[in-house]
Amino acid sequence: MRALPLLRWIGLGVALLIAAISFGLGLWQNLPAQQAMFYAAATFAAVAWGWHHYAVRPGEHAASSGAGSGGKSGEFWRRYRAAIIAGVLIIAVFLIASAAIDGFFTWLNIIACLVLVALIFLSAGLSGLIVANRSAFIGLIVLGGLFILGALKVDGFASGANLKSMLVFASFLGLACVGQTLVALLGGLDLSIPFVIGSANVGLLYIMGLGVPSVIAIILILLLGALVGLINGILSFRLQGQALILTLGVGFAISGGTQILTSIGSKFAGNVFGQVPDWLKNLAAMNGQTFGLDVPPVILIWIAVAILMVLGMKNTVYGRYLYALGGNRTSAARMSISERRYWIGVYVISGAVSALTGALLLGWSGGGFIGVGQPYLFMTLAAVVIGGTSLLGGNGGYGFTVIGVLVLQVLTSFLVGIGLTYEWQQFIFGLLILPMVALYARSPHVRTQI
Amino acid sequence: MSGTAAAPRTTGSATSAYLLVPILLFFALLIVAVLRSPHLITSAGIGSAVIVATPLVLATFALMAIAIAGRGSVDLSVGPLIGFINVVLVQLFGADVISAPLEFFATAIGLGLAYQLVMGLIIVFIRVQPIIVSLSGYLALSGINLVIMQRPGGTAPEWMLPWGAGTSILSPVLAMLVVATGAWLLFARTAFFGHLRLMGSDERAAYTAGVHIGIVRIGAHLIAGVYAALAAIAYTALISSGDPTQGTTYTLISVTALVLGGTSLAGGRGGAIGSLLGALNIYLITYVLATFSFGEVQSFVTDLAYGTILVCSLLLTVALPRLQSTLKHVSPLLFFILLFIVAFGVILHATYDYSAPAGTEAGAGAAPAAAVAGAFLFEDAPARTAAAMPMLAHPVALATVLLVALLAVLRWAIAQARTRSLSPLVYLVVGAVAVLAVYMLARPAQTAAPAPATTQGAT
Repeated sequence: MRALPLLRWIGLGVALLIAAISFGLGLWQNLPAQQAMFYAAATFAAVAWGWHHYAVRPGEHAASSGAGSGGKSGEFWRRYRAAIIAGVLIIAVFLIASAAIDGFFTWLNIIACLVLVALIFLSAGLSGLIVANRSAFIGLIVLGGLFILGALKVDGFASGANLKSMLVFASFLGLACVGQTLVALLGGLDLSIPFVIGSANVGLLYIMGLGVPSVIAIILILLLGALVGLINGILSFRLQGQALILTLGVGFAISGGTQILTSIGSKFAGNVFGQVPDWLKNLAAMNGQTFGLDVPPVILIWIAVAILMVLGMKNTVYGRYLYALGGNRTSAARMSISERRYWIGVYVISGAVSALTGALLLGWSGGGFIGVGQPYLFMTLAAVVIGGTSLLGGNGGYGFTVIGVLVLQVLTSFLVGIGLTYEWQQFIFGLLILPMVALYARSPHVRTQI
Repeated sequence: MSGTAAAPRTTGSATSAYLLVPILLFFALLIVAVLRSPHLITSAGIGSAVIVATPLVLATFALMAIAIAGRGSVDLSVGPLIGFINVVLVQLFGADVISAPLEFFATAIGLGLAYQLVMGLIIVFIRVQPIIVSLSGYLALSGINLVIMQRPGGTAPEWMLPWGAGTSILSPVLAMLVVATGAWLLFARTAFFGHLRLMGSDERAAYTAGVHIGIVRIGAHLIAGVYAALAAIAYTALISSGDPTQGTTYTLISVTALVLGGTSLAGGRGGAIGSLLGALNIYLITYVLATFSFGEVQSFVTDLAYGTILVCSLLLTVALPRLQSTLKHVSPLLFFILLFIVAFGVILHATYDYSAPAGTEAGAGAAPAAAVAGAFLFEDAPARTAAAMPMLAHPVALATVLLVALLAVLRWAIAQARTRSLSPLVYLVVGAVAVLAVYMLARPAQTAAPAPATTQGAT
């Protein structure tokens, strides 16, 4: 029994390796990238299934043979009930759409449908194997599936330019999610993030307009962001159950106050005009360059932050204590971990990183706008939740959030690519969050908690 | 809490101590509003206040039903749901599918019930955290609203137009508000509500006690659906058209109102009076700020004020248990009456100074001040009747007010006398103050009774 997880991971590794080799071969044969990717995914699925069936299953049966179970088909139905139903539903929808819409029945669409069904079975089959980090696994599968779908359906989806633009937007969302993830690990919520982003965006331009050197202005903005976080943390410490609404109130006040401050003596209330320095523009613009490389620095900043966060949360005392506090306050207190210090600390980090995001967004857009943070109001929450960080605290991490951010970003890009407007995108987001969360973040029934 | 050892009767006032903050805020805002702009307490002013505040009050009720159910559920989707019902109603009317009031109400309530039933089923059976379910609903509904109607537009039916006029106090919207509030007060007396509160404060205890928590939670959602539907109808009456974009604002404002009203977002506590006051406070904040005319930065000042007041009121709610030992003996009702008397005095002062010179300028001699003072509420009809029989009306009105006040005071005095929460003496003092206030009200009438009245106040 102990050897089983190892066996599973080896199987996954072998499947990934073979898929990578097939992808490389496809590229070498000058196949279109979409086909190569599709074949790679298909190979991966086939190998993983085969491994699961022949290598893992017998071991599992040997392990659980004492328990005894019903017929094999009955057991199969019980295990894959949800996946079978979902697969049949998708095929039904596909058939109905083919019958109803002219020109829907194309090879590309058939392949897309088959990929979807295959992915559902794959994730259902494999998620049973993976006990820890299931959400990350499902997230990765969804990410891969979405990417393949996008590459199949949208021209230029897998092109370098599109990947770059997706990564730039993902960087902004990812940076905005840093604070939300940390706060969620302690069981809190920070809804002031979008307002801090907007305020930092406007405030930075305003401060630079006053003649302050841009570097000092950014440092000032980061400090102010941290100050907002400090206020959030101190005020919400005694109100932890209502952190959501309290940070919302602070956010309202901050964004209102910033706008009043910046529009004193201005004819155009709410708009700040000014010159954004070139280096800040380069930092976040789509055609920015890092040391001569053709990669916008903001992507590298995000990657650096992500690595720092993932490693830091795993290996530093601060990170471990955060998990300890989020998991169980009482036992953390027995270890003399100061709940107050950590609670306020994560809010300070959240404020500072949000301010940084606002500053970077200024470089991206080149003009101050208070509403720039609005999309992040629920997007940060959605990314954290889709990634698999529990809002109750103690479970998850920034690595998960990165997956969530990428899923959201690839999904947006895909939906834009197939020509859906903003309102349809939002509708589909809303509908998708539920099943994704339901896959791995269901709370236990009350009767199990007594 | 410190009130555990107290007599059962006194805990009644202790648990409703959270009402003190909204009451205090309400009267503070009311006084400021009246001093800033006495137009508020004219017939048209109150009428428009009712029209504007009713959707907010009903949305707050909808939020409250779910917030009481616990598990930290704030229904973020209440704003988009109201928008959804609003645009569906307007589009259906535009397509000539529905037109009669009954059809409107049935459609709205049906939509609200259906949506909240789905939400409730998901929360109960799929067991995803309620906040995520509501977030998902928020995103989905605000998307679909824009699909149903791209930009604000459309028209409300003919019969609904006068609803939103807001020229008089008595309007169908007011009736809706009264019925909705009354329905909640009745609902709060049922066993179901007790189960709901029990589940909100401790779900495990409720389950162990044999409460069908699934059914109770779905019931809370259904009630929220009905209130959201009513809010949507009041909102349609207010704007007389469809608006798919109001979702975010409405959610944020009504959550603020909910918290201002003293409902605990942790579950288990909340009341109609609190939420009513909370929503009215939001309206008054907007009203007071509007009187200052900040020009371009008006909306920013409103944001700042919402945020600050929300945070302060939350902090006060935290400080409240610490003051509980002191506040235990303060009945919210008494508090309300005391502040009401103060506010009433201020209102009288404001309207008196405002309208008396107008009466003399009209050249009709000194108007009966009581008629003017009394006319602040009922300008149109009652002022004229007062003019028709000034000699008879005043003593009768005075006696009625006195009798009612005395009855009420006696009732409270007797009800409270058995407890050690408050000595009846305080009630006697309050009664005396009330009598004094009525006397003050009536005294100017005796000085200027014979003069013919004018209806100058109506302008």
